Amino acid sequence: MSLYELLGTVEVGLIFGLVALGAFITFRILDFPDLTVEGSFPLGAAVAAILIVNFGWNPWPATLVAAIAGFGAGFVTAFLNVRFNILHILSGILVSISLYSINLRVMSGPNKPLLGAHTIFSAVQGWGIPAYILSPLLLAVIILSIKVLLDLFLHTGLGMNMRAAGANPAMAAANGVNVGRMKLLGLGMANALTALAGAMFAQSFGAADAYMGIGVIIIGLASVIVGMSILPVRTIAQATLACLFGAMLYRFAVAFSLNADFLGLKASDVQLVTAILVVVTLVGQSSRSGMGKLLKRKSS
Amino acid sequence: MIEVSDVRVTFNKGTPLEATALHELDLVVPRGQFLTVIGSNGAGKSTSLNVIAGLVRPDCGKVVVDGQNVTDWPIHQRSRLISRVFQDPKMGTCEDLTILENFALAHGRTQPRGFRFAIDKTIRERAAERLKLLKLGLENRLNDKVGLLSGGQRQAVSLLMATTGETRVLLLDEHTAALDPKTAEFVMELTREIVTELKLTSVMVTHSMAQALHYGDRTVMFHRGRIIFDAQGDKRAAMQVSDLLALFKRDQGEELSDDALLLG
Repeated sequence: MSLYELLGTVEVGLIFGLVALGAFITFRILDFPDLTVEGSFPLGAAVAAILIVNFGWNPWPATLVAAIAGFGAGFVTAFLNVRFNILHILSGILVSISLYSINLRVMSGPNKPLLGAHTIFSAVQGWGIPAYILSPLLLAVIILSIKVLLDLFLHTGLGMNMRAAGANPAMAAANGVNVGRMKLLGLGMANALTALAGAMFAQSFGAADAYMGIGVIIIGLASVIVGMSILPVRTIAQATLACLFGAMLYRFAVAFSLNADFLGLKASDVQLVTAILVVVTLVGQSSRSGMGKLLKRKSS
Repeated sequence: MIEVSDVRVTFNKGTPLEATALHELDLVVPRGQFLTVIGSNGAGKSTSLNVIAGLVRPDCGKVVVDGQNVTDWPIHQRSRLISRVFQDPKMGTCEDLTILENFALAHGRTQPRGFRFAIDKTIRERAAERLKLLKLGLENRLNDKVGLLSGGQRQAVSLLMATTGETRVLLLDEHTAALDPKTAEFVMELTREIVTELKLTSVMVTHSMAQALHYGDRTVMFHRGRIIFDAQGDKRAAMQVSDLLALFKRDQGEELSDDALLLG
């Protein structure tokens, strides 16, 4: 792997760290398996791309608006669940398939190239240091700031209410927490982070594409599972760090499978490698309890 | 003060399983009274508690707490007036949060902290001070996750959390039923101390007739969705479990068949 490739992987790994933070909020904190991200990731990309290319917006506000659009998508999913009692998984599926059509509308087509457009990465060009070094640095600063902000939020009164609402809804309600409202806020936040990742990915990759959301849910979940089973997660700050680490590790596994000609793997095997990585981690995790006991009992 | 008037609750309405859990219930618990509630399974005692807390919406009737008509309030809104301790120790506390965070959560009920940090020096000190009452050394374990505590410890912490803040009404739903006898007594004595000290209006549902007569200042007995017995003062003070049983037999013309009630 060349340095160029390595830094490219780091860059994508950092961007998908945001997706992992989103999955951490929904799956781990709220206990709400949210499939909206499959639609909100390309939504963020589409909104940012269209604002930058067609409307000539500055890339920073365009990226911010993309995140707000993502918040809206997550809010709708939570609303379907909280207000109309639609099953959480189904709510997410409904919103993500509608977003597929919406994204085609937003882009007036299946994709929107950003080549040559002014992006957030343009800001760090022409400092005499190559962009492929500065872009990951810029992303690292942005993503770590978001991580710290999320950590701080989860320690506020509101953030703690959200954690309680996910961990023990009956107890949270008995302690004055509006559980439904916490879901609305949490899903909004998670999808804002995902859409932000989509917007950044499109700007880094050079295009927004209606199909770029496929598999995002698994990437996010895999990052959270892999990260949290490898690193210690005693505190919130450690847990969010583990999510970022998991996303990075996941991207390296993908880069590895793309480069593993010697193993007979092809680029199209990426999704299979992902699935195997998640299964191996889950089995490894449970072997400390369930599987391990099972194996021990058999051998004794 | 709690006023339940003319409340009817029907479960599985419009289905073959339709069952009336409460028949036009009227119950007034004056300010500062400690009411104990007994009854066999399905008598309506837990349902009446759930009607007060907001878990069960009545078909008709009215619930007034501290002078406010809360009939249409959701659970989280009622929690500003009403505290609860659940039967299952796992329910009353949040095991993923630390002891201190659980306390802060209970505090937020009457004083929400929004975007301010959930925990500050005042809350830390107050939690430590309250936990000292237990004499379990928990004040030195503020940053331990509640999941590490035993059932009895968690129930004691739930009780302290429920009586933190400004709520004046306390609902206890068989809160010692899942504990071993010694721990149950400890939690019960703690309940008595706190309720007396803070002059809380309390309703305790219990399966044990002995406990119902021993604690509190008034006892009501539910049977098939109705109150069939209501005693306080001297009449109650002179009562034994056997009197209660005899009374039940005379009024209902049937033996009380719930073993749990007799043995408890």
